[in-house]
Amino acid sequence: MSAWRQAGLNYINYSNIAAKMLRRSLKPELRAEALKRDDSNVRITPWANGRPAHLQTAAK
Amino acid sequence: MLGRAAPGVCQVLAVANQQQNRNMATLKAISIRLKSVKNIQKITQSMKMVSAAKYTRAERELKAARPYGEGAVQFYERAEVAPPADEPKELYIAMTSDRGLCGAVHTGVSKVIRTRLAEPGAENIKVICVGDKSRAILQRLYGKHILSVCNEIGRLPPTFNDACKIAGAILTSDYEFGSGKIIYNKFRSVVSYQQSDLPLFSQKAVESSPKLATYDSLDADVIQSYMEFSLASMLFYALKEGACSEQSSRMTAMDNASKNAGEMIDKLTLTFNRTRQAVITRELIEIISGAAALE
Repeated sequence: MSAWRQAGLNYINYSNIAAKMLRRSLKPELRAEALKRDDSNVRITPWANGRPAHLQTAAK
Repeated sequence: MLGRAAPGVCQVLAVANQQQNRNMATLKAISIRLKSVKNIQKITQSMKMVSAAKYTRAERELKAARPYGEGAVQFYERAEVAPPADEPKELYIAMTSDRGLCGAVHTGVSKVIRTRLAEPGAENIKVICVGDKSRAILQRLYGKHILSVCNEIGRLPPTFNDACKIAGAILTSDYEFGSGKIIYNKFRSVVSYQQSDLPLFSQKAVESSPKLATYDSLDADVIQSYMEFSLASMLFYALKEGACSEQSSRMTAMDNASKNAGEMIDKLTLTFNRTRQAVITRELIEIISGAAALE
């Protein structure tokens, strides 16, 4: 078992951290373009019983 | 914006009708209506231009993303992975976006899932809605099946980090599924897309697949890492395909809308001119007959 998995990461976290490091260590003229690919806007809401989970806990 | 124009016209009509039941009032109403339809046409035209620009970018990016998805699917096909018989739980992922006005892209995806949920065995299915549109369609009837909802999709082109976040959410959720499907719109050409699916399997299903031996030096650790990565890359591919079909579909939808508005404008201008002519003629008749009566 690899060290990063023991630390509770999965492969996605692991490779994302590696990719982030790689982007940061690029030459300045390439870095600007690469950093644009680094962001993410998705918001994830867990649902339960047909309602968003955080609303349910708030109702109780 | 579109809905607001119509009641305004009705109000003007009603007020005008109270004042006088003549053609003059409709003339005013027609010109207001004409103006609003022209504005709508301007809006749809500019929306078409915007989505055309977004579409070219999406298609370029889709070409680059295609190997991610195809590679992952190839692995499942070569290894002949089959859904495990002892684990009936399934996970469906609906790939849509937050934005509407783009034809039937979102309804198509949601319909596939709705028909699946109407079949027997639906109690073992959970759905992840990517994009607000599929959530809006599914939450009323099948809200209990929704495991989580991802939104803020479609404003900007999807990135690999987006896919990673969704994949992370699937992996960390304590829902253990045996198999599943990503339902998305596969982009075929500017005017056509088709609902397709990508397979998802649990690690157990992959390990017990008959032809796994075609691949060399696999152990549980490698398989687990690969499963995680392939989930993210398939999601990324599906997001890209979906974004591309959505933009192309919005382009056609807005083109049609502009065309319809154009037709409406033509008809309205015709009636406007006719009414105007009628009003002038009537006024002339009134003047002439008045003058004739005085003689």
